[in-house]
Amino acid sequence: MLQEMWFIFTDRIDFFLKLLLEHLEISLISILIAILFGGLVGILISEFQKTAKPTLGVINFLYTIPSISMLGFLIPFSGVGNATAIIALTVYALLPMVRNTHTGITNVDPAILEAAKGMGSTRTQILFKIKLPLAMPVIMSGIRNMVTMTIALAGIASFIGAGGLGVAIYRGITTNNTAMTMVGSLLIALLALIMDVLLGFIERRMNKRSVKAKKTNKVMAVAAVIVCLGIAGSVLINTQQKDTIQIATKPMTEQYVLGEMLDILIEQDTNLNVELTQGVGGGTSNIQPAMETGEFDIYPEYTGTGWNMVLKHDGLYTEDLFDELEKEYSEQFNMKWVGMYGFNNTYGLVVRREIAEKYNLKTYSDLKSAASNLTFGAEYDFFEREDGYDALCETYGLNFGKTMDLDIGLKYQAINQDKIDVMVIFTTDGQLSTSDVVVLEDDKQFYPSYICGNVIRAEVLEEYPELNTVLEKLNGLITDSNMAAMNYSVETENKEPRDVAEDFLRSHNLLQ
Amino acid sequence: METAIEFKNIKKSYGEKVVLEGFNLSIEKGEFITIIGSSGCGKTTALKMVNGLIHPTSGDIFVDGENIRNKNQTQLRRNIGYAIQGSVLFPHMTVEQNISYVPNLLNKRDKEKTKNAVSKWMKIVGLSEDLKHRYPSELSGGQQQRVGIARALAASPDILLMDEPFGAVDEITRRQLQAELKQIHEQTGITVLFVTHDISEALKLGTKVLVMNDGKIEQFAKPEDLLRSPATEFVKELVKKERRTCYLPEDQLSSCEFSGTSGKVSSFDAR
Ligand SMILES: Nc1ncnc2c1ncn2[C@@H]1O[C@H](COP(=O)(O)OP(=O)(O)O)[C@@H](O)[C@H]1O
Ligand SMILES: [Mg+2]
Repeated sequence: MLQEMWFIFTDRIDFFLKLLLEHLEISLISILIAILFGGLVGILISEFQKTAKPTLGVINFLYTIPSISMLGFLIPFSGVGNATAIIALTVYALLPMVRNTHTGITNVDPAILEAAKGMGSTRTQILFKIKLPLAMPVIMSGIRNMVTMTIALAGIASFIGAGGLGVAIYRGITTNNTAMTMVGSLLIALLALIMDVLLGFIERRMNKRSVKAKKTNKVMAVAAVIVCLGIAGSVLINTQQKDTIQIATKPMTEQYVLGEMLDILIEQDTNLNVELTQGVGGGTSNIQPAMETGEFDIYPEYTGTGWNMVLKHDGLYTEDLFDELEKEYSEQFNMKWVGMYGFNNTYGLVVRREIAEKYNLKTYSDLKSAASNLTFGAEYDFFEREDGYDALCETYGLNFGKTMDLDIGLKYQAINQDKIDVMVIFTTDGQLSTSDVVVLEDDKQFYPSYICGNVIRAEVLEEYPELNTVLEKLNGLITDSNMAAMNYSVETENKEPRDVAEDFLRSHNLLQ
Repeated sequence: METAIEFKNIKKSYGEKVVLEGFNLSIEKGEFITIIGSSGCGKTTALKMVNGLIHPTSGDIFVDGENIRNKNQTQLRRNIGYAIQGSVLFPHMTVEQNISYVPNLLNKRDKEKTKNAVSKWMKIVGLSEDLKHRYPSELSGGQQQRVGIARALAASPDILLMDEPFGAVDEITRRQLQAELKQIHEQTGITVLFVTHDISEALKLGTKVLVMNDGKIEQFAKPEDLLRSPATEFVKELVKKERRTCYLPEDQLSSCEFSGTSGKVSSFDAR
């Protein structure tokens, strides 16, 4: 495992470094806001003690909201991406900041405060000359806790499309790449540790009171500020070189591969820069709103999903409705469907090849006569869903001899071991490409069609017409079994989505 | 003589509890008033009324002939030196920063003047120049008291309020500090209000002694008058021991000089 982690780390060092920088950026912005705002609130509630209890109550309450729900609440207001992540992180960072500032200030010896007052200090002078300097050690330890917490918490930011090392973790999870998840987690821990050591060092320097130490502190503070400005400057310069296309993908293996293909092709064929946000948590429900606000420009979507979830039609989608789909997208959202990949990621039924040959099965209807001799397998929820098992059997008049509940991770194993004969699948399942099964034809169109294509904002297409040429190249490029094979490469052979995408494009002569 | 501080008909109560009542007192410029009395009798309360840290429930206080109600409290306080028990130095500031605290509140610009004031007052209270950059935690108890006094005096106030400033130092240091304070008073002509619970200290330092009991004034007189003719039983009891240290028979007590400068005053305190 360690070896694998080391390998993936050295192999993709640029990727990890970029995430590390993003992680640092998101965390530091949140930390900075929390220090300023939380410090201010902490000071105010110490000066006006009556407000302390209710304020701390509210902040304590916010603190108890689970981070995932917090992100969920925020998405309707601030969309997906870094802004939401920063807001959420700031909210969590507020509590330790406010509480420690308040504790630090209220614990200053009242005799000292009375002395200061008796000597004729104004309230402001007491605050800045006496209270704050004396509260500083407590405030600093609060900051120290808060910083490590924020860095750790920033790991979940990627669930809503923000950058940072969480991207590696999440991608590792969705594409079954444990080493990547581990490297991402380890880097977060390491970052938190380094920051903690750094702050500990600053804390110790600040507590040194000799004149010489103070001078050294000043020199070091100035140096630190210069370094920070340098980094911030170079980040800004780096990110604003070219026109940037924002591409999002859903948290599905095949979308990671498609995202990489778009990235590779657009950067190869145009002068545009691509910013790829892989695996946005919540998929369509979070990406579509971000497309509408212009945060994202392109993302791969499925026609059936667009019809039901985005346009909110109830009925079953078939490809006859594609013109209508395009029209409504254009009218309602000013978005276009361009570059239809060709594959259809829908539900399907497979039977073992042996069985297919024995009963001569080609379509779902063919199953009718054989069903009573066959065992049917599917995930638990398929038997519960309205458009699941019962509806399927009714439409085709099927009556299976036996049914079996299966775990989604184990169902291919079950059919390969002949435990079941018929099984529900997704047509681009990676393991489909290595199983000895036959996919049957949905001759009565029981399942909606989920053809994959790119949704793009029309404005972007107008501004950069060269994108059209690139996206057109994708038309009909990928078949169901192509996609299944690529999913297999990523999920089972642990190849990088980018490498898989590159191999595929190369074999179709699309790479220069 | 001009009046520096005047208490007129002061009453102070916390809810039901009356701390001061019918409190009238007139203090002349340049006096060194020591205030003594049993614990909880209202000494600190009376003192803090002068610089507006405590406001009377009724009655008026005049400083330099002006009712302090009508004065800007901050301005009032900047003109009154304030030193309290244990001196309460600011722990995050050096000796220099502590002493220049009030001058800095008054004028931030004139750094040179402040610097000179710090040097001058450090010399007067007997602190060597090289202690300037030390922090309070790096000083002895006596040195801390000295810094406290220097801090209270650094802006050259007209009035100095001190609340048991020498309560926490050893006997030898205390005697040195007493002598220095006496000298400062003589040199500057500043009006001093000095709370103590040590009768010998009160008699030694004060040009006048205010004896309080239970929120009321028992006697306000020169030290020798206090010894010679105690006005009440309470005062009599208080000075009993001090009278005896003269080793004189009762009828000859009048010839016993109890001026603080005589140096003959016993250092056995009355606690
Ligand atoms: N904030 C307060 N609330 C209620 N009682 C107080 C308060 N401050 C002082 N007292 C009471 O007033 C009395 C006089 O206090 P003080 O002037 O500090 O006495 P001392 O003569 O020992 O300096 C004491 O009995 C004390 O308990
Ligand atoms: Mg007292």
